[in-house]
Amino acid sequence: MVKFLKPNKAVIVLQGRYAGRKAVIIRSFDEGTRDRPYGHCLVAGIAKYPKKVIRKDSAKKTAKKSRVKAFVKLVNYTHIMPTRYTLDVDLKDVVNLEALQSRDKKVTAAKEVKARLEERFKTGKNRWFFTKLRF
Amino acid sequence: MVAAKKTKKTHESINNRLALVVKSGKYTLGYKTVLRTLRTSKAKLIIISNNCPPLRKSEIEYYAMLAKVGVHHFNGNNVDLGTACGKYYRVSCLGIIDPGDSDIIKTLPGEQ
Repeated sequence: MVKFLKPNKAVIVLQGRYAGRKAVIIRSFDEGTRDRPYGHCLVAGIAKYPKKVIRKDSAKKTAKKSRVKAFVKLVNYTHIMPTRYTLDVDLKDVVNLEALQSRDKKVTAAKEVKARLEERFKTGKNRWFFTKLRF
Repeated sequence: MVAAKKTKKTHESINNRLALVVKSGKYTLGYKTVLRTLRTSKAKLIIISNNCPPLRKSEIEYYAMLAKVGVHHFNGNNVDLGTACGKYYRVSCLGIIDPGDSDIIKTLPGEQ
């Protein structure tokens, strides 16, 4: 009886091109909208996970391996699997509905998400979120 | 051992309570609607039959854990659960939204 599909909840996308990728809910539309008459949410997730960094790697290699490719998407609730994890990253200002109107706006939003996720990855927190889900 | 063996009496009383919910309350039958009620936090209790596929059972239990909703594993398969709801079809999982006159919400999760 507790609502759990709230902003900052980590979810796993189940369908579509990004199936199996982890994402975080930025904004949820429980009632739906006129265009999407079902419960859905705006998520920002990882399209390409950062690779495993070992001690042997040089600084240049570490930087290259720690790169993250991000995506921004509106997904139906039935196409995500919620988890018990949360990710406290402030993406509300950069990821919003108008960012999804055109291709370039989406690309700039994804780039900003990429930057914020990369800096979060480098701090070493939320390690679960940045590991690839094996299936 | 005592907890594992469910006596005939409590099983019948669950069936009675379920019949009362069906008569006077609100409920949904089936996996898709159960997940929907869990997501919108409308469900108060989930009942799963014993032959529900284990992956689906764990998925419903995980959703219920996130939503802090009780899950009851019905002592019977989907045929029995359908019969207990008074339906002529199989019911693998059901969600109780409004128990009506029944006290199933108060008595069942305590047993769990």
